[in-house]
Amino acid sequence: MIPKVLDMSDSDQTNIIQLEHVDKFFGAFQALKNISLSVKKGERIVVCGPSGSGKSTLIRCINRLEEHDNGKIVVNGHELTSAVKDIDAVRSEVGMVFQSFNLFPHLTIIKNLMLAPRLVRKASKSEAYDTAMRYLERVKIPEQADKYPSQLSGGQQQRVAIARALCMNPLIMLFDEPTSALDPEMISEVLDVMIDLAREGMTMIVVSHEMGFARKVADLVVFMDQGEIVESNPPEEFFDNPRNERTKLFLSQILSH
Amino acid sequence: MEALTGWWDDFFWGSLVVVEIFFVALILTVLFGLIGSAAKLSKSRVAHSIASAYTIVFRGTPEILVLLLFYFGSAITLTAIAQVFDPEIKFVDIPPFWAGSLAIALIVGSYATETFRGAFLGVDPGQVEAARALGLSNLKTFIYVRIPAMWRLALPPFGNHMLSLIKDTALIAIIGLEETLFVAKQAIGTTGKPFTMYIVVGAIYLGFSTVITLSVMVLERYANRHLEVAR
Amino acid sequence: MSFDFALIVDSIPKILTGIGLTFQLLFLSAVLGLALAIILLLMRISGRWYLVAPTMVYIYIFRGTPILVQIFIIYYGLPQLEFVRDSIFWPILREAFGCAIVALTLNTGAYVSEILRGGVLGVDRGLKEAGAALGLSARHRFIYVTAPIAIRLCLPAYSNDVISLMKSTALASTITLLDMMGIARTIVAETYAPYEIFISVMVVYLILTWIIQRGFGWMEKRMSRHVRSEA
Ligand SMILES: Nc1ncnc2c1ncn2[C@@H]1O[C@H](COP(=O)(O)OP(=O)(O)OP(=O)(O)O)[C@@H](O)[C@H]1O
Ligand SMILES: [Mg+2]
Repeated sequence: MIPKVLDMSDSDQTNIIQLEHVDKFFGAFQALKNISLSVKKGERIVVCGPSGSGKSTLIRCINRLEEHDNGKIVVNGHELTSAVKDIDAVRSEVGMVFQSFNLFPHLTIIKNLMLAPRLVRKASKSEAYDTAMRYLERVKIPEQADKYPSQLSGGQQQRVAIARALCMNPLIMLFDEPTSALDPEMISEVLDVMIDLAREGMTMIVVSHEMGFARKVADLVVFMDQGEIVESNPPEEFFDNPRNERTKLFLSQILSH
Repeated sequence: MEALTGWWDDFFWGSLVVVEIFFVALILTVLFGLIGSAAKLSKSRVAHSIASAYTIVFRGTPEILVLLLFYFGSAITLTAIAQVFDPEIKFVDIPPFWAGSLAIALIVGSYATETFRGAFLGVDPGQVEAARALGLSNLKTFIYVRIPAMWRLALPPFGNHMLSLIKDTALIAIIGLEETLFVAKQAIGTTGKPFTMYIVVGAIYLGFSTVITLSVMVLERYANRHLEVAR
Repeated sequence: MSFDFALIVDSIPKILTGIGLTFQLLFLSAVLGLALAIILLLMRISGRWYLVAPTMVYIYIFRGTPILVQIFIIYYGLPQLEFVRDSIFWPILREAFGCAIVALTLNTGAYVSEILRGGVLGVDRGLKEAGAALGLSARHRFIYVTAPIAIRLCLPAYSNDVISLMKSTALASTITLLDMMGIARTIVAETYAPYEIFISVMVVYLILTWIIQRGFGWMEKRMSRHVRSEA
C-alpha cells in the first residue's frame, strides 16, 4: 500500500493543478461541463468513465493540447489562457503519456528520449544521454536504446514513452489510457512502472479503467459521464460505496468482465 | 485589350478544337487504361510484359517526343506507302488532330493503366465472391460489381489524369493543330502582342481546368453518395 | 524505308552533346523549384490568410495551365512589357536558357509544394501532440518531428515529380534551346529520319528516368530503416 497524500492532512499545501468551472465545446457539442478539480503536489488521481465522457479532453486541457472555453485552469502557478506565452514551458513541466505511445518513428529509442532535453532544456549531449539511459534502466529496457520504436513490443514502447516524459523531469505526469492499446500480458509491465512512479511521490492524473491500479495508488477516483464529474472519492469509498446511480451502473459493467 | 478585337472568334474556334480533342483523347485514355490494367493483372506473362513495357516507355519519355515521333513517323511511313502507288506524291500525314489525340491518349493512358490496376486491386474481394455466390457470371460481376467499386477508388487520381490531358492538348499546336496556342501565334504575327495573346490562351486553359476540377468534385460526391451519413 | 542503324550510331554522340544542357535545366530548376516549394508550403500552412490566399492562387494558376503556355508567356510574352525590359531580371529573361529555368522552376515549385503539403498533412497528429506535450516549440516540432516524417512520406510522389520535370525540360527545345530534344529535332529536320533519331533520344530519356527512379528508391530504402523490424 502506498501512503496516500490525503492522509497527511496537509491542508495548507497549495494546489499544483487547479480547474475551476471549466467548459469545453467542440462546435456546438459540449465535451466538458463545469469541471472543477484540484490536485495537490504528490497527489494521484485516477479518472474513469464511459467512452466519450470527456476524460481525454479533460487531461488534454491541462497541458493545453485542447483549449478550454470557459473557466480557469492553473498549472504550477501559471494560468492557461490564450495569451500564455510560454505554454511550451508549462508543457515541459507536465509529462504526458498517450494511449497510442506516439514515439517518434524516425528516431531511435535513445534519440526519442534525448530530443526534448536537448532542444528545450539545452542539455549537453552527454547529459541528455546519461539521463536517458538512467530512465531506460528504470523502465527496464536499457538494451533497446539503439532500436527504432517499430522494433519494440507495445508494452516496451509504452515504457519508453514514460521514460521519454520523465527525461524532462516533469512535476506532473498525465496518462491517457496508457494500457488500453496493449495486449493483456503487457499491461502489468507498464502498470508496474507507474506504481513505482507513484511510490516516489510523482503527481499523477491517470485516465484508466484498471481498477486494481486505482485501488492501489489513487488518492482520489474521479468518475466522469457526459462531460461532467459525477462522483469523486477516495478508492475505498468509490468502489465499495458508490453513491450515484450512473457510477454504480458503470462499476457493475466494468467489473463484470 | 483592343489588340484582341477580331480575334475572339478565332480563339473560340480554337477552344472548340481543344474540347473536341479532349473528349476523343479521354475516351481513348480510358480504353488504353482499361486494356493496360487488364493486361497487367492477367496471368498471361506476355500480356503483362507488353503492358509493363507500355507504361515504362510512355511514362518515361517526354510528351513532346512521343508526339513528334507519332506525327513524323506516321507521316514518313504513309508517304513511303503512297509513293509506291504514285511517285509524284510528296507528303502524306495523319491529320494532326488524330496523331495528336492518339499520342496524348497513349501517354495519359499509361498513367491510367497504373491507376486502374491499383483500383481493381483495391476492390474488396468479398464483394466479388458475394456476386459469384449469387450466381452472376464473370462478365456480369465485372460490369456490375468490379467496375462500379473500382471507379470510386480511381476517380480522384483519374481527375488528375484528365487535367494532364487537357494541358497536353496544348502540345499539339507544335504539329500544326489549329487550337488556341496556334491561334495565338497567328494573332501575334499580325498584332505583335505576344504577352496579351498567350495570357488569353492561359486563361482559356485555366477555365477548362476549373471546369474539370469542379466536374470531378461533383462526380466524386455522386460516387460516394452511399457513404454520406443519413441525417 | 528501312531502319538506318548507321545513322543511329552517327547521331547518338551528337544527341549526347545536348545532355549537359538537359542536366543543367533539370538540376537548376529542381533545386530552385524545391526552394520555392518550401517557401510556398510555409506560407500555405502559416494559417495567415494574406499568405495563404496568394499561395493558393499561385498554385491554382500554375497547375491549371499547360507548362508550354507558361514557357511561351515568359519567353515570347514578357518582352512585350516595358517594365520587364527595364527590370533587373531582364538579363535572365532575355536569354532562352534563363526563361526555361524560370518557367520550369515556377511550374515545379507549385506541384512540389502540394506534394510537401500532402506529406505534412500525412504526419500523425499524435506525434505532433507528443512533441507539444514535451514542451517543444512549434518551430522545433516542425523541424525535428513533422519534417523528417513528412519527407519520408512524400519521397515517392516527389520522385515522380522530378521525372515529370525531366520530361518538361524537353520543351525548352520549343524556345530554340539545343538540349537533347532540341538537337534531335535539328537532326530530324536535316535527315528526315524521325524513327531512328527520336527512338535513340527516347532510349536516353528512358535511361535517365530509370536512374532517377533508382536513386530515389535507394534514398527511400535508407530513410525507411526504422520501418524494417528485426525479425
Ligand atoms: N477534436 C474533436 N472534435 C470534435 N469532437 C471531439 C473532439 N475530441 C473529442 N470530441 C468529442 O468530445 C467527447 C469527449 O471525447 P473524449 O475523447 O474526451 O472522450 P473519452 O472519455 O476520452 O472517451 P474514450 O474512452 O473513448 O477515450 C466525445 O463525444 C468526442 O466525440
Ligand atoms: Mg480518451
